[in-house]
Amino acid sequence: MAKLEQFSYDNAIVRKFAYASIVFGVIGMLVGLIAALQLIFPSLNMDLPYTTYGRIRPLHTNAAIFAFVGNGIFMGVYYSLQRLLKARMFSDLLSNIHFWGWQAIILAAAITLPLGITSAHEYAELEWPIDIAIALVWVVFGINMFGTILKRRENHLYVAIWFYIATWVTVTVLHIFNNLELPVGMWKSYPVFAGVQDALVQWWYGHNAVAFFLTTPYLGLMYYFLPKAANRPVFSYRLSIIHFWALIFIYIWAGPHHLLYTSLPDWAQSLGTVFSIMLIAPSWGGMLNGLLTLRGAWDRVRTDPILKFMVVAVTAYGMATFEGPMLSIKSINAISHYTDWTIGHVHIGTLGWNGFLTFGILYWLLPRIFDTKLYSVKLANSHFWIGTLGILFYAIPLYWAGWTQSLMWKQFTPDGFLAYPNFLETVTQLIPMYAMRALGGSLYLIGVFMMVYNLYKTVRTGNFIANEPAEAPAREVYVAHKGEYWHKWLERKPIQMLLASTVLILIGGLVEIFPMMLVDDNVPKIESVQPYTPLELAGRDLYIREGCLGCHSQMIRPFRSEVVRYDPNDMQYSLSGEFIYDRPFLWGSKRTGPDLHRVGGKYNNSWHYNHMYDPTSMSPGSLMPPYPWLISDDLNASQIAKKISVLRTLGTPYPEGYEEIALEDLEKQAKIVADQLRAEGVEGENLEQKEIIALIAYLQRLGTDIQPVPQAGN
Amino acid sequence: MFKYILESAGDINWMAIFALLTFFTVFGVSLYVIFRRDKDFIDHMANLPLEEEAPQPNGRAAVN
Repeated sequence: MAKLEQFSYDNAIVRKFAYASIVFGVIGMLVGLIAALQLIFPSLNMDLPYTTYGRIRPLHTNAAIFAFVGNGIFMGVYYSLQRLLKARMFSDLLSNIHFWGWQAIILAAAITLPLGITSAHEYAELEWPIDIAIALVWVVFGINMFGTILKRRENHLYVAIWFYIATWVTVTVLHIFNNLELPVGMWKSYPVFAGVQDALVQWWYGHNAVAFFLTTPYLGLMYYFLPKAANRPVFSYRLSIIHFWALIFIYIWAGPHHLLYTSLPDWAQSLGTVFSIMLIAPSWGGMLNGLLTLRGAWDRVRTDPILKFMVVAVTAYGMATFEGPMLSIKSINAISHYTDWTIGHVHIGTLGWNGFLTFGILYWLLPRIFDTKLYSVKLANSHFWIGTLGILFYAIPLYWAGWTQSLMWKQFTPDGFLAYPNFLETVTQLIPMYAMRALGGSLYLIGVFMMVYNLYKTVRTGNFIANEPAEAPAREVYVAHKGEYWHKWLERKPIQMLLASTVLILIGGLVEIFPMMLVDDNVPKIESVQPYTPLELAGRDLYIREGCLGCHSQMIRPFRSEVVRYDPNDMQYSLSGEFIYDRPFLWGSKRTGPDLHRVGGKYNNSWHYNHMYDPTSMSPGSLMPPYPWLISDDLNASQIAKKISVLRTLGTPYPEGYEEIALEDLEKQAKIVADQLRAEGVEGENLEQKEIIALIAYLQRLGTDIQPVPQAGN
Repeated sequence: MFKYILESAGDINWMAIFALLTFFTVFGVSLYVIFRRDKDFIDHMANLPLEEEAPQPNGRAAVN
């Protein structure tokens, strides 16, 4: 046997990520709770731009996904990678650059999102300078991880590491493609893709952010920490390998299920559905593998809170990955989409799978690196029960809310009229369920506070082992022998493994996205659809800034209940040709308010003016926050020329040199809108200079291009 | 409308078939490879997470 080498594991970096995950978990969930309460008490929007729901929601999602779960991933990876490879991390410096870089990105997100600096791509809202920073930090993480793999003492890569590698590769590809954008200024950019293509790339990203940020790294953690906590090997290592290859191959195709019944071509929708349903197989293979690992140890689940957390986490993974494919079936999606059902579904994943696995790992890991015992097992058990109750109280009311709202949208009277023609009725009906959801979230958060206290006391009683001594024989120099099969070769060669994973995920991505780029020439063009005027463009950017798409869709699906509600005159659903100048697309994913794709001309200007100033003045009982600053603040149109030229570069047919007169055009149109407002009785000094004028211009433009005659071919 | 897109985007049948074939290839190859493995190797891999415990400074007991 080779001589034993002495080295140490870096626990300091693990502790840093653990603390960051806890801190940002608390913050992210608090912000989520505020957002949930805002839907019950709109006054909690506080009439401030920075605290309105539209800006708070992306702050919550980003904090939960990238700060809480992200730091949780790195905590688990840095702990398990070193031990599985029997090597210290490649570079302490890179570990620290990774840590501080990631926290700086989170800080940047926490500042820019409330300021309304957003690209409007869900879960990829951060603007281009932060996107570049993310890419750099991610590369640092990659170098550190692959460096460690290369200097390892264990010949073979355990399956958890495969999941880490696939995560790294895929997130890299997704991040790059979904953030291809051309800057207008330091904090504003337009995406390279428009309309339908932008939607497909975004949801290819969006879905795979769930797949490769919230799932694959956590599966890696499950395959490491669950056997550790249960003190027995994984049920079937063979199954874990099949789980891995099948999962990463299938997941990448499933994105279009976020766009069922939209203007996305049917073939892409069908592809998304088929692969989503196939996903049940590997997902459940993984879940069963996790649960069966506890065979013979179930008695310990009764007493050990760590195992309890892990069992519920894996079960939640199984539930969410059963529900996901079901929601991808078109007839079910017709009911669930745009409703709270989706929110309930994702929280089974985040609260149950990600949250509980993180808590289980924290309870297992912190006492170890502090060389002590958990302060209170009883308190951890209480955390488990209150957290589990919290998940149920969170999700069940939202399922109920989703069904209720969807059925109300679709209900017709015997005479053939909408039973609930006023959209607001379908929202106010949900307030009790929103209240129960907030209660569920509060319970879950109380549990987290209990954990913080428990871990604080644990840490206080322990002695931190920053550098944990370890020893292992040096890696044998492997000589390839005749007849060895390729997988063994792959496994010893992490770079080949990296390439194989890349090829596999690229197949799905390319086959789906490439034809969409061809569709550019094949989207039925609608002659009357014209680029936005400078004022409308400015208004559209305000719509993006305020996060209106958090509550309003711009996509009328081809259902009678939708065309009757949203386009009663022409009965026309949204057509792909209407979005060709939309950078970014703003279809949205949730209707807390009504769809706005045909809102142009539905109300007069003063209605919009008064509605934005105080929504309840026009719609008594509305949950929408007021936007008084749009009425008091002057529009900053200084970037309009640059915006026009950037959009022309990207393909919007503004005439050459138009940017020079764009500001003049903007002012002219602003004057017209302001004069109309005055004629309708609105008073105000310098009305034409206010932000509200641009927003009204944009809203009044929406959906008007195709009127009155739908074009042939549709 | 969809028919129009399909016709003008060219023959997309290859996509469905390609997706099916690549999936079954990946699935089949991983099944074949993993079941050809000898049991010792599988046991070694499955036990990797459990065997790395380093010598502990204070000989502390684990939490569970």
